[in-house]
Amino acid sequence: MNNLYTKVERTVGGLKFAVFIILLFSLMMTIGTFVESYYGTDFANRLIYKTPFFMGIQFCMFLSILFATFIRLPIKKRLHGFYVIHTGLITIGVGSFVTYVAGIDGTIHLPPLTPTRQIVLNEDVIEVVMPDHNKRASVKLPYSAMATDLDIQYADVKVTKFIPFAEKKLSWQEEMNPTTSPNIHSTKYNVANPNVAQDFILSLHPEAFDFKASLTMGLLNITYLPKAMAECFTKQSKEKLILWNSVESTCSTTEELGIKVQKTSTGKRFFAIKNDKTVYSFLPDISPWAMDADLKPITNAPIRVFSMNLFEEKPHLFLFGKSAAFYDKDEDKWIFEKFDSKGEMDLPWMGFTLSLLEHHEKKVPTYIPEETLPIQKNGALIKGDYKAARIKIRDKEYWVTSERPVSLLIDGKKVTVYLTKRSFMLPFEFTLANFKMDKNPGTNSPASYESFVDLFTDKGTSRHHIYMNNPLKHDGFTFYQASYSQDRETGQYSSTLSVNVDQGRVIKYLGSILLVIGSIWHFIINGRTRRKENDILGLDPKGDNNA
Amino acid sequence: MRNIQKLIAAFLFTASIFAGEIYFCTNDIGKMPLLQGGRVKPLSVHAKESIKHLTGKSKIDGLSAPQIYCLLSASAFGMPNKLNLKTRIEHKDTRKLLDGKTEMSYKDLLDEQRTIRTAWMRIKDETSAKKDLNRLMAKIALYQDIASASNWTIPQYTGNKISWIPLAAFLTEDKVKAAKLSGGNPFEKLFIDAKNEYIKIDGDLFLLEYKYDQMQLMKIAMILTLIALAALVLFKKFAIALGLSVVIVVLQTAFLALRVYISGRAPVTNMYETVLFSGYGGLILAMIIGHYKKEKTFIYMGLAYNLCCLMMINFAGSMVNESISPLVPVLRDNFWLSTHVTTIIISYGALALSWVMANTIIVKKFFSKLTKADEIYYNDLIYTSLKYGTTLLAAGIILGGVWADYSWGRFWGWDPKETWSLIVLCIYIAILHGKYTAWIPAHRFAHLIAAAFMSVMMAWFGVNYILASGLHSYGFSEGGAIFLGSFFAIQTLVLLITFRSSKQTKA
Repeated sequence: MNNLYTKVERTVGGLKFAVFIILLFSLMMTIGTFVESYYGTDFANRLIYKTPFFMGIQFCMFLSILFATFIRLPIKKRLHGFYVIHTGLITIGVGSFVTYVAGIDGTIHLPPLTPTRQIVLNEDVIEVVMPDHNKRASVKLPYSAMATDLDIQYADVKVTKFIPFAEKKLSWQEEMNPTTSPNIHSTKYNVANPNVAQDFILSLHPEAFDFKASLTMGLLNITYLPKAMAECFTKQSKEKLILWNSVESTCSTTEELGIKVQKTSTGKRFFAIKNDKTVYSFLPDISPWAMDADLKPITNAPIRVFSMNLFEEKPHLFLFGKSAAFYDKDEDKWIFEKFDSKGEMDLPWMGFTLSLLEHHEKKVPTYIPEETLPIQKNGALIKGDYKAARIKIRDKEYWVTSERPVSLLIDGKKVTVYLTKRSFMLPFEFTLANFKMDKNPGTNSPASYESFVDLFTDKGTSRHHIYMNNPLKHDGFTFYQASYSQDRETGQYSSTLSVNVDQGRVIKYLGSILLVIGSIWHFIINGRTRRKENDILGLDPKGDNNA
Repeated sequence: MRNIQKLIAAFLFTASIFAGEIYFCTNDIGKMPLLQGGRVKPLSVHAKESIKHLTGKSKIDGLSAPQIYCLLSASAFGMPNKLNLKTRIEHKDTRKLLDGKTEMSYKDLLDEQRTIRTAWMRIKDETSAKKDLNRLMAKIALYQDIASASNWTIPQYTGNKISWIPLAAFLTEDKVKAAKLSGGNPFEKLFIDAKNEYIKIDGDLFLLEYKYDQMQLMKIAMILTLIALAALVLFKKFAIALGLSVVIVVLQTAFLALRVYISGRAPVTNMYETVLFSGYGGLILAMIIGHYKKEKTFIYMGLAYNLCCLMMINFAGSMVNESISPLVPVLRDNFWLSTHVTTIIISYGALALSWVMANTIIVKKFFSKLTKADEIYYNDLIYTSLKYGTTLLAAGIILGGVWADYSWGRFWGWDPKETWSLIVLCIYIAILHGKYTAWIPAHRFAHLIAAAFMSVMMAWFGVNYILASGLHSYGFSEGGAIFLGSFFAIQTLVLLITFRSSKQTKA
């Protein structure tokens, strides 16, 4: 046994093993940097830097350094520098291990003037929230680079797969709860002119969570309407008011229904209509909804009104699946058009042609997560920036993604499943009181960004100033200015701080000092003089090297 | 603007405007302060950068860059000029788009803007063709910006602070008329007044930068280095080489000191500065080691490496840009910049000394012979440089870790720059350990050291020019990548050619 140990010690502590393991370490790092540049930091960490294999290499280096020191004991004077270097490296290794095991590395997002204490860690979890049972649980997901099949169960939720880097693939799925109305349809279109082309999908289906019935493209507004409404756009109407009955899926003009449209004292049009036993009154130029006595919209009323006048000023396109309507300003009239035999129609704006690509009445457009290799550009992921997990709840399977949780009722009790990052609460609270950003003169690039935070503890409130190279230390935590974001609408800044607890810090610093001192010492001890025979530049021909 | 044009016609020395006129665009216009790129600088510096960026030249038809910049801006006021600025069309796809032309004038390019933009929009992926179109569009936009008198900013004293307004808004009819009343050339008076007002409030640091730019100290340093190296290698005059080395160090110190004073930070924040500083640091280190080791070869190593660096900063302007630009917030800490970055850069300098020596040995062995004792002796000089290089590099990496820990809260984050510096250290450490095994015999040592320096180049340039471009930039299409690729190719070729001769040693 002792013999075996000596053998292992000799081999692992030997120079050849050292050279081998250092080169293997370098090779892995080289691959890591290329992976990082192509696929992003997170992917490189998951694939290389934070894998057991790479940590194993580092452990082997640690052993190599340790044994190399052991086999050179007892202490020899000529090796003093060597001992100090190797002790330094061992100390750094120990310090890093302490940080790895006990350290915390997370971020805290501070919206303006909102008390916050939630620290988010870089660890993917499935979070199951059951408010009726007052339960909340996290299921840890693997730190993998590729999609992984899992078999983790919590209560009724079973996690079967995790995709750390996914992209959305469009899929036309069968309905989960079949609908009967022919007016619940979905269509995929393409709009193009010689310069740009874009596909888009509009849907009226209640299960099409990823798609809406309206969208804006530059100056053009597009609204998707039930196909039964198309016919009313072809009808001549003086008032240009179309009523839509969502229960019967029928449309009609006010003239057809014999409704008299009146004006208020301020010149606003209004009318009332009786449906079953209820009377609904409308202010069609203000809201499509019926109004109650307090002029509040009744959003669940079966009848809605559509005032064509409102859509004549700006470019508006109305799509009914296989047909379209829009107002032509030049001809001063509403145009109703169907797609031609090639499934195309010309639009009156910027030379656009609209093509009908796919139309379904029974199928639902859905984005299905699919595994992908991420792509990084300018420090941010442009592909694969999306995580997904497959979960099974009582024989039905669902995708829960980092963008959308799954909510459903199990035995009448609400359950929501999130795919998120692990987080924990600080024992104290923060508020971003002010965020200051200086820009380089005459440009938009930031010169500095600084957070002024109020820290609330048991002992009271204190104001702190955190900026680059000036972190805040409190209660073992250190807070660093990391990044910021700006609300597009309000223009208000939010600040993101990175939060860190590192018990290995002192050990690592001590090791670093030893390493540098050791290197200097080692090279001083090893200074030796050799003699040359001929000068390589021909300066001292006879080996006379006394400069 | 039309009124201004009439006024100009009236004020000019000749009765009619003709195209050869330089108006107010004398060489002194370069001394105007200007705000661009987040910093106040003399017009001469900004004009040189802009005109060089647009045309690749800093002088056209006997006109200096500030004059060209000024005349182009003046054309916005209807002052005609004979200038016809042209740019090279770099990419083959862009040439195909523009009827196979390899060079085009900006006036013609303005008409093609729509075509170029459409072509750019049609390319979905980040290909080299798209990047080239992107660059071309940026150049046309800059040309337009200058030619519409919007790029040239002029300080104006309003409400007890300086604000910067474009020339187009500065030269108003009222102002020119008022200036005319006091006699002389009204334009020159307006410019001088604006400059003097600025100096009164914000000082004249930009004038120092003007002088700094005019002196061209690094061209002189490069020529002196070349002479010193020739004196040493060709004429065996060590004393001359040493004397000149001292002069070169003094010149570079002065240049760096001026740069530090102007930019207000340690001179190690971009490629230009690191290349310059590394050559400078390498030479000083070589002089110190040479003095204590009583070995003249170190001066040769230092001079040779400094020459490489000086040639790069003088001739590779597209890759190592000499302009002083504002720093990203995280780097704004002079203490860490001047400790961590300088340590790393000097360590690269020390490793470069070993690279020079290693290549000298292998070339020497290829063309003539080296005795076994001499081979061991010169390997030892390499070893000496490596001692400094690795110790400084280790210290530099640790300092970087401490800085990262101090400002981001992590000692190590596997960022490509830090990872590559660790790879470099590991490679040299592996060689230093391998030196004591049978794996690295003395006659292979120099080869390994010459090859190992490629890792330094990768850490220094490759991370920025190859790794940072990421996916879809297939290509060695950009200056930095071409340089690095050529360096690797030539070094590999030298190693392959000399490999067989490496065993030959005279007993």
